Amino acid sequence: MTAYDMKKLVARGALAGLLAGVVAALVSLLIVERPMRAALAIEDARPAAPGARGGDLFSRPTQVVGGMVAAVVVAVLIGIVFAVVYRWVAERVHRQSAFARSLHLAAVGFAAIVLLPMVKYPANPPGVGDPATVDQRTSMYVSLIAAGLVLALLAHWAYRALAKRHWPGPMRGVVAAGGAIVLAGVAFVVWPANPDPIPPDVPAALLWQWRLASLFELAALWAGLGVGFGLLVDPSARRWAAGQRAAVAPT
Amino acid sequence: MTTPVPVSRSVRTVPLWAWLLAMSSLLALYLVLQENGMLLGQAAEFIHEFVHDGRHALGVPCH
Repeated sequence: MTAYDMKKLVARGALAGLLAGVVAALVSLLIVERPMRAALAIEDARPAAPGARGGDLFSRPTQVVGGMVAAVVVAVLIGIVFAVVYRWVAERVHRQSAFARSLHLAAVGFAAIVLLPMVKYPANPPGVGDPATVDQRTSMYVSLIAAGLVLALLAHWAYRALAKRHWPGPMRGVVAAGGAIVLAGVAFVVWPANPDPIPPDVPAALLWQWRLASLFELAALWAGLGVGFGLLVDPSARRWAAGQRAAVAPT
Repeated sequence: MTTPVPVSRSVRTVPLWAWLLAMSSLLALYLVLQENGMLLGQAAEFIHEFVHDGRHALGVPCH
């Protein structure tokens, strides 16, 4: 029963997270760094606000490394949680290959944890964001993610409940996913708007570039996690890899 | 093909330690991405500034 061995699953989740984190860190270095520099130049050009926190605790190169380390650490931690949730899902959803299940779970995680908050509270570069509202913004952001995860669970339950009533698959999918999307729309209206104004010295083009780059880094992370974990746990992929190793290894 | 072996309930449910591990991973995620001094106080500033690029790039609210 290797498919249900929790320790192996957690180790593979952490490994898949590490791989996904390295990919995201490369995106951070190659793609996010450019708008990051433009945003920092704007921030540096401003007169220092009285009582502003020291932004120069670390040098610029150290912060670039810190940003990459953060991507890897975050991806490994998400990978561990992913493995536990995967096992919980695997007990409930049987008619799916391990690889397909991993991809589905990553897609749902990306939608609830990245897309939903990204549409309501888009990412902002340094230089945007009032320190006085950070706690408020954090609770809005975290609670919206929690709501997204609840919606994913509701959709899962609705799909299963309709299966017991012998609804055809496509109809179940439309009702479960459509219902979740409608409720997400309600959440957009109910959750308060980001209280911070965009400072006039931050150009719209930079903001747009920043948000696309940020979305790209997060998409790379979740795609890497879903594909990596799927390949690591899928029995057919593991058999193929073992066969390749046996063919190469001297007898 | 062998006949499927009945799996005991203890093997089929997620063990408690795994849920605890998942919870501590979420706490660690909070400390890396969200901590603004509420739990760690001064030490938070070091973590915050080191991973500052990462927080912004990952779309997390920041000062």
